[in-house]
Amino acid sequence: MSIGRDDVIHVAKLAELAVKEDDLPRLVDQLNRIVDYVAQLDQVPADGASDLFLPGPEQVALRDDVPGSVPLARPPAALAPEFADGFFLVPRHGAMEDL
Amino acid sequence: MSAIAVARETAARLAAADAAGLNATLHWSEALLQAEAARVDALPIAGPLAAMPIALKDNIVTIEAPTTCGSRILDGYVSPYDATAVRRLRAAGAMMAAKANMDEFAMGSSTEHSAFGRVRHPFDPDRVPGGSSGGSAALVAAGVVPAALGSETGGSVRQPASFCGVVGVKPSYGRVSRFGLVAFGSSLDCISVFGRTVDDAARVLSAMSGHDPLDSTTLARSPMAVPRALPDLQGLRIGLPREYFPADLHPGVAAGMERTKAALRELGAELVEVSLPNSKFAVPTYYIVAPAEAAANLARYDGVRYGPRKVGPAGDIRAVYQATRGEGFGPEVQRRILVGTYVLSAGYYDAYYRKAQRTRARIADDFRRAFAGGVDLLLTPTTPTPAFRAGEKTADPVSMYLADIFVCAISLAGLPALSIPVGRSEGLPVGAQLIAPFCEDERMLAAAGAVERVVAAAEEVR
Repeated sequence: MSIGRDDVIHVAKLAELAVKEDDLPRLVDQLNRIVDYVAQLDQVPADGASDLFLPGPEQVALRDDVPGSVPLARPPAALAPEFADGFFLVPRHGAMEDL
Repeated sequence: MSAIAVARETAARLAAADAAGLNATLHWSEALLQAEAARVDALPIAGPLAAMPIALKDNIVTIEAPTTCGSRILDGYVSPYDATAVRRLRAAGAMMAAKANMDEFAMGSSTEHSAFGRVRHPFDPDRVPGGSSGGSAALVAAGVVPAALGSETGGSVRQPASFCGVVGVKPSYGRVSRFGLVAFGSSLDCISVFGRTVDDAARVLSAMSGHDPLDSTTLARSPMAVPRALPDLQGLRIGLPREYFPADLHPGVAAGMERTKAALRELGAELVEVSLPNSKFAVPTYYIVAPAEAAANLARYDGVRYGPRKVGPAGDIRAVYQATRGEGFGPEVQRRILVGTYVLSAGYYDAYYRKAQRTRARIADDFRRAFAGGVDLLLTPTTPTPAFRAGEKTADPVSMYLADIFVCAISLAGLPALSIPVGRSEGLPVGAQLIAPFCEDERMLAAAGAVERVVAAAEEVR
């Protein structure tokens, strides 16, 4: 499977990543090398093992459904320029260009 | 010695390491060290890590110092909370000495991908210390601190431990809380430890292990015990997976392994050959699973939730995201985000991600079978070569990924493993890796302690 320039531009858009025009040839080359390399997984038979493996506890321990506290060193109001009534105040929708 | 005196000496060693151009630290100050020392001296009980200065990889958050993850995108970020591991180490009497340089967002095997410059190998400045926790490894190897925290996603502590000639221990997944470790690959990430000795590393691991309500993937188990020193290894069966001893193994590494096998036999252990046939697929599996998880985890660095905001030419919110991320992330992180997004995208998910998950299950099954077959531990080289030269692998990402060929299968399987120094090849350290069944960390540490006692790690291998 070969990755072309347009594929990189498409994936960069999905990833919300501005990629410089000058970097495109290098990225096309390196992504192709990586994809060619991982293609060796085609040799792995599709049968014989479960579909998903996750390490860790067999069952994730659930907490009681009550708000917990994270030991914050500073109150939430100190984390953002504006905070009121338990909410962080952010610019009005569509107003990013004013920043 | 009082904590204040230890802090003063640690500050002098940190300053000397910085002046020597190691580039292993990102943040530290004598004032912070003195504050840590004053806190330790005021503790009613000294604690098991009394006044031990510990360096932290800069993806483990503390409230006093910035956390950069070796990236420009976190410029100015200071966490409002401490990582659980840090809180527990402090409660045990340890002092947080410095934040250590690292590959950006822990992506790399050489610590050449930090936005703040590469870390030098403490024995040879033209070589790399390994990565991604290269700053932490270099600080322990240079004798600046007796222990340091790193993080592992696919071998990022064991590999630099091997390159730098120190002990590097990755615990079983879930034994140490990830709360406060900046997420890279959440199903793989483990806070891990470097130590001058197995005992130093075991004591640090013990102090920070155990269930944490703030990380629901931690195991509901009591903290790890510090294993007692074993007089010998009589009755222990150690498997040698044939796939990890290829004919073209670097001669110095091969000689280091022969020395380790001889030491194990001398201690009374029985060595048997085993097979892990799917380990040959570990690196390609890892380089699908880890970038996929990273692409999701790093979506939060968008100039709104995190990151100094950049406004793109279109002036809308997506332009903000794209410009912030395009300018803030370095080339390796961008490359992995692109790979991760590609393998998760419609049309490619089954061909890559699903296949990698299936292979991950087969890799883990191989280990289960080997241990069920009667071996207590596995022994392999940690790395295929000693530390390589800076710049040698940066142009070709795949050749860099292959530096992790002996370590990343274990991360995929969530098992505990460690690297101990077993000799030098032309002056460069060589490491051996011990791997244990899930949650048998203590067994592995006890055996490593015995090997450490009889192997001449500072001597050339022949």
